[in-house]
Parts: sequence; structure tokens; C-alpha cells
Amino acid sequence: MVFGGWLCLLAPLAGFLAITLAGTRISRNQAGVLSTASVFAGFAGAVIAFVDALGRSPDDRSELTTAWTWLTAGDFKAGVELLVDPLSLVMMLVVTGIGGLIVLYSNGYMAGEDEERRYFAYMAFFVFSMLLLVEAGNLLLLLVGWGLVGLASYLLIGFYHERPSAVLAAKKAFIMNALGDAVMALAFFLTIAKVGSLDFAPVFDAASSGALSDTVVTLIALGLLGGAVAKSAQIPLHTWLPDAMEGPTPVSALIHAATMVTAGVYLICRTHPVFEAAPDVQHLAALLGLATLLVAGVVALVQWDIKRVIAYSTMSQIGYMFLGAGVGAYGFAMFHLVTHAFFKALLFLTAGIVIHHLSGEQDIRKMGGLRRELPITHATFLIGTLALVAIPPFAGFWSKDAILASALASGGALGWVLYIGGLIGTFLTGLYALRLYFYVFRGEPRHAEHAAEDHGEAPPTMIVPALVLALGSTVVGFLAIPGVWEPFEDWLAPVVEPLVTPSATEEWLTSLVAVSFGTVGGYLAWRAFRAGREIVADGAVRRALEHKLWFDELYDALFSRPAQALAVRLRDDVEQPVVQRGLDEIAEGTLDASAVMGRAQSGLLRTYALTFAVSVSILTLVFLVVR
Amino acid sequence: MSGPDIPWYLAVASILFTIGVAGVLLRRSPLIVLLSLEIMLNAANLAFVGFSRLHGEMDGQVFALSVMAVAAAEVCVGLGLIVAMARRRLDLDVDAFTELKG
Repeated sequence: MVFGGWLCLLAPLAGFLAITLAGTRISRNQAGVLSTASVFAGFAGAVIAFVDALGRSPDDRSELTTAWTWLTAGDFKAGVELLVDPLSLVMMLVVTGIGGLIVLYSNGYMAGEDEERRYFAYMAFFVFSMLLLVEAGNLLLLLVGWGLVGLASYLLIGFYHERPSAVLAAKKAFIMNALGDAVMALAFFLTIAKVGSLDFAPVFDAASSGALSDTVVTLIALGLLGGAVAKSAQIPLHTWLPDAMEGPTPVSALIHAATMVTAGVYLICRTHPVFEAAPDVQHLAALLGLATLLVAGVVALVQWDIKRVIAYSTMSQIGYMFLGAGVGAYGFAMFHLVTHAFFKALLFLTAGIVIHHLSGEQDIRKMGGLRRELPITHATFLIGTLALVAIPPFAGFWSKDAILASALASGGALGWVLYIGGLIGTFLTGLYALRLYFYVFRGEPRHAEHAAEDHGEAPPTMIVPALVLALGSTVVGFLAIPGVWEPFEDWLAPVVEPLVTPSATEEWLTSLVAVSFGTVGGYLAWRAFRAGREIVADGAVRRALEHKLWFDELYDALFSRPAQALAVRLRDDVEQPVVQRGLDEIAEGTLDASAVMGRAQSGLLRTYALTFAVSVSILTLVFLVVR
Repeated sequence: MSGPDIPWYLAVASILFTIGVAGVLLRRSPLIVLLSLEIMLNAANLAFVGFSRLHGEMDGQVFALSVMAVAAAEVCVGLGLIVAMARRRLDLDVDAFTELKG
């Protein structure tokens, strides 16, 4: 298990280093092949560890290995530790498996792009960082991985660095993530102060045994939640994700849909004892998830950019995961993470094929009728959409409904609010997902200017990953059939014991309701499309949605503008008058003084001699008198 | 110990020194200024030798010898400058050279 864990972690790192060091000595294609091979080698490592773990008894599937002690400060020690357990194995398989497919796809998507080598190096680097995050054996190493994925995300969003909007989006994502990192680091400082360790076991013991006061636990949980919210683009730190679509499409698929943005869910599941000790914070996580899934759902209704619609649906689906983790249904949250990784990566990859086909067009108003031009892409995209809307038998159906059933089972007013909100969310999902599908693939082609250059279907490197993901989006859901066969939950149960377990009746009932909500949403989208109407008619509501509910404007007014005003004030009132004028004053003073002193320099030799003589006389006199 | 006492030596040295100072301060010809400097140096030498004799030590005489060496070197440089000035037909007047004026 440990061997597999190390192989999984280090293979992408080796790929990244090899591509970086080789530089221009290898061709662009070789860089792509190297990157793909390294990520698939990581996948092999994950599979080795997984098979090893399968052969063991359920209680013996966690293994912690320390490579060396990395930091020592007084009593505090932190080692380079890998933890391979069922939870991290799930993430390892997802990250390397889906990551490998997406990197493979990139070989086709990025062909002919400038700086391909840099792209593939970054991709391998991202996979390494993400694996470090999920395999970390203590919170400190987890934070290191957490920061590195933020860096990789920044580098890849800003990949088209000659485009100002991409640079801005990269900075925005990085700053918002840095905010989360900082909050998380604060929580860890508090943990070190109160527990004296950042290893999982002592921290969780302290949290669940009640050794820490309520305030401390709540603060730590809040810090962790802050990090999770920033990384997973949940309200209120969600505004970076739609802008992150400036990056290349496979990056959106890998980082901003399948893996990195779900790290927050992983974090909550990993540190669930802390959240359980602070139930208020856990409920806050659920409510934030609910708010995000609703807001993202309605905003997605009016977006015209194909990638942005999918980005909002990502936020919305992660909202479901937060909701699930917030009510304590960790297994289902993780399950939705896995199924979502499949179908969302699929949607992004097929969207990438569409964008390629139309020579970079991303506006869905200029698409349409692609069903005939791209039959395979159409079929896979449809599978992805149905999985997203949670139509059986596709993957999303099994995972999303389980989360809703858990919300119902958790009971109380909160449970009902979450349940009903989640159901409205499925309705919205049906609306925006099918709206997107109809706009892109149905109706008459609206892309006359592009139609001339018919690329045909995408190359195999792009189609094959899409087909594999489509297959995954179809079958992965069967890993959790309520009441019949639940290997996924059984697999995770030794590590993350769920707080709520919905009965099979609740699950099937919820499924029925949720599917009908989704179907109604899809039907309404179809009706609107046939009638040539928009789902949200013009007016105040639509304007609000087009402004994404003014979150950007709000943050601009609250943080950005005051900061700029402060900077301007400091420049006008401090820097220019004090620092800059001060230097000028010193220079002018020196000049003035030297002008005065210069007058003493007559240039007359005899004056100097006289001064000299008089001075010596005076000194002599003083010397004699003082003596 | 024969000869005059130490005050006499010092008196002569002071007179010589004052003459030198007056020469440096009052005269404008560089040649005279240089000569006056030499007088001042020699006044110092006289004082050195006088004290050397008073204490019966050789230090003062050694100092006097080194002062003579320095004086010789100084005269070399000074006379060289004066000759250079004369060759360029410049006024031999120390007040005419005011290029260091601030």
C-alpha cells in the first residue's frame, strides 16, 4: 500500500521535473506523452495500493508512513508522512485516473499551441500537488499540498498570459484562495497552540474527547471551513471560479471541476471529527452549500458562455457535496464527488471538442445543430448532461439523491430546509443543463461563419477520454444502490462513519421526487427552447442574474475600492509628501548648506594659512587652559 | 652642560617661527612663502634639538633629521611648481591662484 502511495505521488512529480529540465531538448509531443505517462504511472500506483487494500480486512486499510521528520520546533514535530486509507485512495484514484484521461485529451486539445511543454509540466505539477494534498499524513503537509494546488491553478488559469483577462482571472483566483489558505493556517496555529501537534490522530482525539473548549473547536472548524469554502468556490468566496474559465478547457475540466475544487469536500470529510465537535460550523457548511447551489443554479440560467454555464453547474454540484458533508453524510458527499468528477470532466471535455470544432467560439448563441456534425460528442455530452440532471441510470442520480435523502433523514427544520432547497436545486439543474444542451446541439446551426471549415469529429486522443468518461458516468453510480448494494459507503465507513443513514425508503422516495423535479426542469427548458424564449425573461430579475447577483460589484465596493482609495490616500498623504518630499528636502538642504560653506572657500592660499594658524593658536590656548 | 640655557633656544626658535608665520601670511611671492615655511621648519628643528639637549636624549635630534628630509622634499616640489609657473609666464603671486574658490 505504501509503495503504491509513493509511486502515485512521485510519478507526476518526476514527469514535471523531467519536462521542466528537458526544456527544448524534447519535442512538444514528447512533453505531452511524458506528462500523460507520468500521470498514468501515478494511476497505476493508486491501483496497486487499492488492490492491496482490498485484500485486507476493512479495519486494516489505513497505513501511515513517515519518510523523515521535516520540522522540529520545541515539542512540535511534523514529518513527511503519507496516509493511505480508503478516503485518500478514493481521491488518488479519481485524481490520477480522471487526471490521466484529461492530460491525454490535452495532447489533442493543445496540439499546435505555443508553450505546450509549459502546459504539460504544469499539469503534471498540479496532479502531484493534488496527490500531496490527499495523501498528506498530517495537517501541515495537507496545507502544503493545499497551497501548491492553488499555485498550479494560478499558473494554469493564467496560461494564456498574453490575454489580460486571463491574467486578471488568475490573480483573482489566487488571491481568493490565499484568503482561504490564510484562514486555514490560522486554524492550524491555534491547533498547534492548543493540541501541540498537527497529526491527524491527536487533533481528532482532542476534538472529539472534549479536551478543547467549545470556542477553540469552533474557531478551528471555522478556519478549516474558510479554507474549504475558498478552494471549493462556495459562497461567499465563489466569484473566482467562473472567471477561472479563462484557462484552457482541459484545465477547467481537471482543476476547476473534477479535482481541486472538490478538495474542500475532501477536507471536511478528512477532518470530520473537528466539525462534529462544532456542529454549528458543520451546519453552516451545509447552509453555505445550499446557498451556493441555488445561487449558482439561477445564475447559470442566463449565461451565454458554454464554459461558464458548466462552471456554475460545478459550483452548484459542489454545493450539494457541502450540503452532504454538512449533514454528516460523508460517504455520499464523497460519492457525489466521484460521480461529479466523471460527468463534469466529461462535460468540459466535450465542451472543449465543441469549442475546437468552432475554432474557439464559446458563445452558445453562435452554436446550435451540432448534433449532426459531431454525433459522438453529442452522445457523450448528452450522457454528461443527464448524469448532471440526475436522471437514472446515470451516475448523478445515485449520488445526488442520496445526499438529499440524507438531508431529509437528518431531520429537524434544518433538514427540511436543506431538503427542499436541494430539490429546487435539482429543478434548476434540469433547466440550465438542458438549456445548454439544446442551445449547443439542437435547433438550426447558427455558426455560418465557422461552418465552412468543417473539422469533423475530434482526433482520437480527445474522443477516447470522452468515451471512457461517458462510460464511467453511466456505470459508476451503481457503486451505491440504496438498500441493495452499497460497496462505496462500506468502503469509506471505517474512516468516515456517517452521522446519518437514510433508510432505503427515504432514498427511493427522494429519488422519485428529485427525478421528477429534474425532468420538469428539463421539460420547461425544452418548451422555452422550442418557443424560442429565454427561460428568464427580460427584466429586473434577468439583469440581476446577468450581473451574477452583484457579488463582484459588492466585493469591488467593499474591498477593492476601499483598498485602492486607501492606497491612493497613502500615496498622496504619506508617500509623496513624507517619503519623496523628505528625500528632496534632504538633497536641497545639503545643497543649501554647501552653498553657505562654499563661501568660506575663498581660494586664497594666505587666508587658508591664516585660518590654520589662528586655529592652531586657539587649540593650543585651549589645551593650556584646560590643563 | 655648556652654552646658553634652554629658554634662549626656545626664544630664538619662537622668533624664527613668528618670522616664518609672518612671511607666509604677509608675503605674496610664492618663493618667499616657501622660504618662510623653511624658516618655520627650522625653528621647530631648533626647538627639537634644544629639548634633546635638555633631556640628554637623541630622539629630538632624530626628529630634526627627519624634518630636514621632509623639508628637502617639500622644497623640491615647491621649487618645481614655482619653476613651472615661471615657465608659463604666470604671475608669481599667491593671491592670483583662486581656482579653489567655492
